[in-house]
Amino acid sequence: MLDAIFAIPGMMLILGALVVPLLPPFVRNYYMLALIAFSGWTVWQIAPGLHMTANLAGIDLILVRAEAITKPFALVFHIAAALNVIYAMHEDVKITATAGLAYAGAAIAALFAGDFLTLFIYWELTAFTSVFLVLAGNTARSMGAAMRYLLMQVASGVILLAGAVLLWREGAGFAIAALDATTPAGFCVLLAFGIKAAFPFLNGWLQDAYPEASVTGTVVLSAFTTKLSIYMLALCFAGLTPLIWVGAVMTLFPVFFAVIENDLRRVLAFSLNNQLGFMVVGIGVGTELALNGTVAHAFAHIIYKSLLFMSMGAVLFRTGTAKASELGGLWKQMPLTAIFCIIGAVSISSFPLFSGFVTKSLTIGATAKEGYFLVWMALIFASAGVLEHSGIKIPYFAFFGHDRKFKVKEAPLNMLVAMGIAAALCVIIGIFPQPLYALLPYEVKYDVWETGHVLGELQLLLFAVLAFVFLIVRGLYPPEIDSTVLNTDWLLRRAIPRVVKGLAMPVLTLWFGAVAWAQKTILAIFRISEETSRESGLVSGIASTGAAAGIFLAVFALMLLARLVM
Amino acid sequence: MSDKPEISIAGRRFIRALLLICAGLLVAEFIIHRHAYFALEATPLFFALFGFAAFCIVVGGGVLLRKLVMRAPDYYDGDDDA
Repeated sequence: MLDAIFAIPGMMLILGALVVPLLPPFVRNYYMLALIAFSGWTVWQIAPGLHMTANLAGIDLILVRAEAITKPFALVFHIAAALNVIYAMHEDVKITATAGLAYAGAAIAALFAGDFLTLFIYWELTAFTSVFLVLAGNTARSMGAAMRYLLMQVASGVILLAGAVLLWREGAGFAIAALDATTPAGFCVLLAFGIKAAFPFLNGWLQDAYPEASVTGTVVLSAFTTKLSIYMLALCFAGLTPLIWVGAVMTLFPVFFAVIENDLRRVLAFSLNNQLGFMVVGIGVGTELALNGTVAHAFAHIIYKSLLFMSMGAVLFRTGTAKASELGGLWKQMPLTAIFCIIGAVSISSFPLFSGFVTKSLTIGATAKEGYFLVWMALIFASAGVLEHSGIKIPYFAFFGHDRKFKVKEAPLNMLVAMGIAAALCVIIGIFPQPLYALLPYEVKYDVWETGHVLGELQLLLFAVLAFVFLIVRGLYPPEIDSTVLNTDWLLRRAIPRVVKGLAMPVLTLWFGAVAWAQKTILAIFRISEETSRESGLVSGIASTGAAAGIFLAVFALMLLARLVM
Repeated sequence: MSDKPEISIAGRRFIRALLLICAGLLVAEFIIHRHAYFALEATPLFFALFGFAAFCIVVGGGVLLRKLVMRAPDYYDGDDDA
């Protein structure tokens, strides 16, 4: 029984996390790394297919099954989990260490879930474990953000469960398979995935919560939830054409928000949203090339996005701020962090020889091949946008720009090691993409190194850099301003509370008025009945025997009189 | 808009190198054949012009968006749940 439980991928990390708070700090980190390595090794052996089922109250559950795309996701989740542990080695925070490991475990277990009920359990577990990472921000803001985050995550879970039940009622069973999004069940599942994949208008929680987490918490958060959702979308909705447009919008709108956002970790959260857009487009196109693109992009993205969050986390850790308006010139004090950040920046911008290029090109190539001209234009445009906010803005305002003359040290060694490994992976994948391609569900026939393609990419990116230089030199680049940028979480934080209050006020006034009136009336009745029934009261007061006889006689006389009359 | 910044020596070098590379990419355009899926893509210097224009539109769009969605840093701070 016990070995069966441990045979569930990720379960080792979930259960292993329970021991974490009991261990002394220096043992804890190596224990977690060993656990992740062992888990990764066992998961690596799992071939596609059905591996473990259970029957619970007549319902067939598929606890472990692997698809063609499971392995790359499981592998990169393990890499991210390990990087997170290394990155957080300098701190001694039991809660985030425990929650982070269990969160990674839940996400990995979810990849292997074969039915929606099993998925629901892990889906919610990722929510409940990850919220501690937001709470670890330890500010009033992070507290509020954590609650809103939990609300959205749990809502996604509940909608997923509703979808599962509807699916079961349709007689389709609970198995995770390709779904029809036009049925109520399919739509519920799509909506649940859409929340966690930060679809347009469902995205507010991401930019709200991630940047409020602790230095290490944000890095952990960036890897799992959204990519788990991308994975599930790929399993259930590959080839669903509307997703192409949803994805295209996702690549575009965060770009403009990222330009004006001042908190660099929030800029990265917008950028994360934009990257998810490319993956959603790939799922919508649904061809072999496109799905390869989505999976490869998710793999590379987890690493370079994590690297970028790590570098900004290091800056926040040392300087106490991640605001562009307060940063600048840090390359002198933190040269290694700056180099790693730039490697992450050129990777996400998909410069040739870096990991973004060999992965994102597949998705963009797929839209071109299928003749989606407008979508292709949108993705190229968004690529220039990525270069703007993640490629240039992040490194420029943190490490160059105005020199703020910080007197800080380089990031701690463990942070540098984590960033160094991530940066190395970005370069290795960028130069030798074959091992990653070999993990993809389909054979990669697309030639990313075609000279014309490389030339086009270089022209696009370097002329965009030229545009940046032009705007800066001419003083046309907008200054960074400490501000709040309204996002779709405004709906949850302002619009809905205000509307609800506005609508509720008259109703509440009426209700409380009625309640007050009823209270008064009831109290009056009580008072009167009490007064009349007191010792000195009219009805039940104590009277003398004579008076009682008098009353009796009077009543008797009244009855006789009545008898006579009737 | 921010004032025109003073550009450091390193910055000047960077700009000079960038201009050189961009010039090289323009020349390469007429040597290397770019395989195009769309007619627009086949027009000479498409990616160079598109990259430059897209970047300016992104930044310009951001400036316009600021008028719409920028609020004080403590905008949400008075709310019950913030």
